[in-house]
Amino acid sequence: MSSRILVVEDDERIRSSMRLALEGEGYEVDEAANGEEALERFAGHPADVALIDLMLPGMDGFECCRALRRQSAVPIIIVTARTDTHDVVAGLEAGADDYVTKPFVTKELGARIRALLRRVRPADDEPTILAFGDLELVPEEGVLRHKDGTEVHCTKTEFRLLCELASSPSKVLSREQLLDRVWGYDYFGDGRLVDVHIRRLRTKIEPDPALPRHILTVRGMGYKLVP
Amino acid sequence: MTFALGALVLSVSMGALSYFTTRHFLVSDQENQAVHDAFVNATFVSQRVRDGTKIIPVLTDADKGTPHSHSLLDRRGIWYERSFSVTQRAIPSSLRVLVSRGTPASQTYTYKGTPQIAVGVPIPHAVYYEVFNLSDLAHTLRVLALALFAAGVITTVFGAALGRWASGRSLRPLTGVSRAAVAIAGGELGTRLVATAGDPDLAALSLSFNRMVDQLQERIEREARFTSDVSHELRSPLTTLAASLGVLEAQSDSLAPSGRRALELLTADVRRFQRMVGDLLEISRSDTGSADVSLEEVDPGELVRRAVLAAHRSLPVGTPPPPVEVDPAVSGTRLWVDKRRFERVMSNLLENASLYGGGATAVRVELGTPFDGHPRAVRVTVEDSGPGLPPTERARVFERFYRGHAAFKRGAGTGTGLGLALVAEHVRLHGGRVWADEAAGGGARFSIELPGDLSDADDDEWLAHGNSAP
Repeated sequence: MSSRILVVEDDERIRSSMRLALEGEGYEVDEAANGEEALERFAGHPADVALIDLMLPGMDGFECCRALRRQSAVPIIIVTARTDTHDVVAGLEAGADDYVTKPFVTKELGARIRALLRRVRPADDEPTILAFGDLELVPEEGVLRHKDGTEVHCTKTEFRLLCELASSPSKVLSREQLLDRVWGYDYFGDGRLVDVHIRRLRTKIEPDPALPRHILTVRGMGYKLVP
Repeated sequence: MTFALGALVLSVSMGALSYFTTRHFLVSDQENQAVHDAFVNATFVSQRVRDGTKIIPVLTDADKGTPHSHSLLDRRGIWYERSFSVTQRAIPSSLRVLVSRGTPASQTYTYKGTPQIAVGVPIPHAVYYEVFNLSDLAHTLRVLALALFAAGVITTVFGAALGRWASGRSLRPLTGVSRAAVAIAGGELGTRLVATAGDPDLAALSLSFNRMVDQLQERIEREARFTSDVSHELRSPLTTLAASLGVLEAQSDSLAPSGRRALELLTADVRRFQRMVGDLLEISRSDTGSADVSLEEVDPGELVRRAVLAAHRSLPVGTPPPPVEVDPAVSGTRLWVDKRRFERVMSNLLENASLYGGGATAVRVELGTPFDGHPRAVRVTVEDSGPGLPPTERARVFERFYRGHAAFKRGAGTGTGLGLALVAEHVRLHGGRVWADEAAGGGARFSIELPGDLSDADDDEWLAHGNSAP
């Protein structure tokens, strides 16, 4: 079964060309011209990846992102005008997993989508349950829960990031390594992706996100998870 | 300063003028008075002596009418003096000689430290002398000189102070204007003059100056915004174009050869167009000052190696990757860079070398000369074995859309014309510098220098985020 992509874009021609391009890559495509329509479509038929332009009439891309995130852990890629603004960070903080800038190359977009759709495949010798603090990660099931059984909701990307950190406890992973393993980026990937996701994870698993005990920053090197 | 000098010159000349005028006036007045008194007394003495009165009482009588003066009589060599203090010796010989020839004369001189006037009047069978003591006049003149000197000093000091105050007050707005103009020329377009209360001329000047800068700023911003808006607007159709072309490319096998060739041409130029629009946006952001730089700490050697690898991927197939030589002295130096921008810098330099210099032959990373107070500098050079750059073009290649003669010779329209301009812009955003010169082999050599830090061993220690470090 092919993956389903929801394209949220107000320019009809861009939408059509993207549909053609994505269908050419073998995806099923759903379109929405604005935020409200996107939420409606998604409720009717959830997609595997949502592609949201930040500049939308009415409900803007950020709001659309937040609304979608409230009801689903679906990977979201935002389409921004430029890389060097706060738009990127704001979009990531609104719940997006990754971003592309306009005008983008279809191949690049395809690569981003494929990276987000990748499944977490733990190596054979790894335990099926990764534990730290009073938390348990079950990669196979894609579940993060407290020892008492209450589930912690997180997005697929957050989950994969946590898996990477938890599978090598106390070892420092550089931003580049994390970008490569989670997002499929090379050395020049945007480190802000890692930073924002770490920040989001901390608010979910740290008792005090400002004084983290599990996910620690190692200045000039990267991040590490301390059980 | 000028004011002080002016005040000094003025007070000195005024003082000197008044002193000499007054002195001249007082002295000549005293002389006239003395001569007049002497003649009156001479007539009196001459009559009384003819009448046979004793000489000394006559002289005493004569002196009664004129205080501060002493009369003497020289009667054919016999001197009649009525005081011990003023004797014949008090009369200068030059005057005596003159008067002995029968001419009345007077002379001003100093005798025993006292200024005096002696007047000699020949009378029948004798010469009458009268010596006037001028010490009162000398005293008056001394007091006058002192007063004038004091006035001069006061005038000078006061003049200097006044000048300082006045020039400060009247020139301060001009200093402000020139400072503002320098700031504006330096790119600080938000600079304005503070309206000065008081002088209406200056207030008008600041007002029109500010209005001029307002207009200038508006124009510059409008132009920068225009470039940015145009590029923005171009992106939507470009996105459609690129996406549609991607679809066609995927099906190129089913196209006729000529169609496939047309598609290749189209794809290459749309890609170039995309990059040009991207570059224009990037440059217009720098122009409007809205560029955000997100710096990360990196190792220079690794950064350059990775950037060369990444950039090499976007070069025409078949171009061998240039060797990257990292000077061991660089290890231990850390750079703070925006990796995305740095990657563009390297890819633009390599692309430039590939387009105009037959491909980069070497990329070197070494220590540069520290500048602007940074402890270290890292220099990255990209060399090619092409024809090189004539000295006249070395600075100009960094201008936007500048095409050197090499570009014309190649006749190639493959670059965006913004590559090196963007290199300069990105390097500038990092506080670094960039220049072009000649490689050892005669090709072109582009060098960039970025400010660096010494890596601190403490930095490598574990530090928990946000906080409670041990």
